[in-house]
Amino acid sequence: MFVKPFRYERADSLAGAAAMLREAGGSAKVLAGGQSLLPMMNLGVLDLETLIDVSHVEGARGVAREDGYLSIGALTTHGELERDPAIAAGQPLVAAAARWIGSSRIRARGTLGGSLAHSDPAAELPLAMVVTGATYDLTDGAAIRTVAATDFHESYFTTVLGEDELLERIRVPVLGPGWGWGFAEVSRRRGDFALCAAAALVRVADGRIVESRLGLAGVSERPMRMGAVEIAVEGADAASLAERIAPIEGIDPVSDVSATGEHRRHLARVLAVRALTDAVARGAAA
Amino acid sequence: MSATDITVTLTVNGTPTTRTTGGHVSLLRWLRDVADVTDPKYGCGEGVCGACTVLVDGEPASACIVLAAQVDGATVTTAAGLCEPDGSLGPLQERFHEHHAAQCGFCTPGMLLCAHAMLRDADGPMSRDDIREQLHGNLCRCTGYTDIVDAIEDAQARGITR
Repeated sequence: MFVKPFRYERADSLAGAAAMLREAGGSAKVLAGGQSLLPMMNLGVLDLETLIDVSHVEGARGVAREDGYLSIGALTTHGELERDPAIAAGQPLVAAAARWIGSSRIRARGTLGGSLAHSDPAAELPLAMVVTGATYDLTDGAAIRTVAATDFHESYFTTVLGEDELLERIRVPVLGPGWGWGFAEVSRRRGDFALCAAAALVRVADGRIVESRLGLAGVSERPMRMGAVEIAVEGADAASLAERIAPIEGIDPVSDVSATGEHRRHLARVLAVRALTDAVARGAAA
Repeated sequence: MSATDITVTLTVNGTPTTRTTGGHVSLLRWLRDVADVTDPKYGCGEGVCGACTVLVDGEPASACIVLAAQVDGATVTTAAGLCEPDGSLGPLQERFHEHHAAQCGFCTPGMLLCAHAMLRDADGPMSRDDIREQLHGNLCRCTGYTDIVDAIEDAQARGITR
């Protein structure tokens, strides 16, 4: 199948892209790596008049360690997240999440900002951002507003981005001492979107969980923290984790061609246990 | 030329190539239907099967989900770029031939470029599992992959990267 013709415009700055978006008035979308957008165009799921290519914009790519957090340009690719030494040292959960995405070809072109703006509820990076407590800087070319990851992702492929706003920078808090991470996923084929994915951060003292952050993707309209599970596992050690975690409440897994809702609900608990167990082991060793 | 046409110049297997066409045209369609470079294949159109794999400035890309206009100025290598200058099979292609690593041949151009990139970029010796892991983005519906893994393993043993 070949895509219906559209207009291709190249922006040389995010402010320029914001101005083009305003001019297009809703008939345009931003093209970054294009690894989700162009398949959707090819399959005829999306029909747009204009794509505004920001992939050549300078200054919106790369990772810097700042005071207490990692500052990541929106055009940083998944492959760069996988291999960046500052991410490996500061928040390895982000690198682990990136490794689950597609194939190396897709990771070489797909961008962090693109994945977050696309906001697929089964995607790995929005989940990692929600669990780490990241914030996003959104720009319309004139002003920047900062939005928490938990507020940014609203529903299926829906975010709080305004019609003329773009993601510019993502701030991810650095993992503190005594914290460990875990990431677990099940998909139909290697590289597919998750049937369910779980990401966990835990602070461990004397082998027991003092504090935790657990999130799930693929089982709700957006990636979500599981506060009830976080409370339930307080004080647990690796051996008692599984018995502390009841069937997960507050999720709404759908049935589709890949899996039934019941199967996804089953995976939610299994993967929560796996991610938390790995996080406890890493936290105890940290 | 319509208002949405864009002129793109790519160096394809060493040959500078300039064509003017719609800005919406994918790199794959630009190569196959505009520039008559037909060794990359159209499989799935969503970047999953790997049949359209080409190297863009040396890095593997799914040409069906990259716009030609996005990569204007780039150097593009297709499987034919792995041939010897006289058009005969290159060393990696010879290994594929020797091991019967192609049956219908549709995935082969992508497999060759994926194999080339993994052999070139390997930090150390790759196990068969390592090779399979790196091939997971290239689907083959004929061979069961065994002969392809054999060919890549043999190329590695001989120090062949292209």
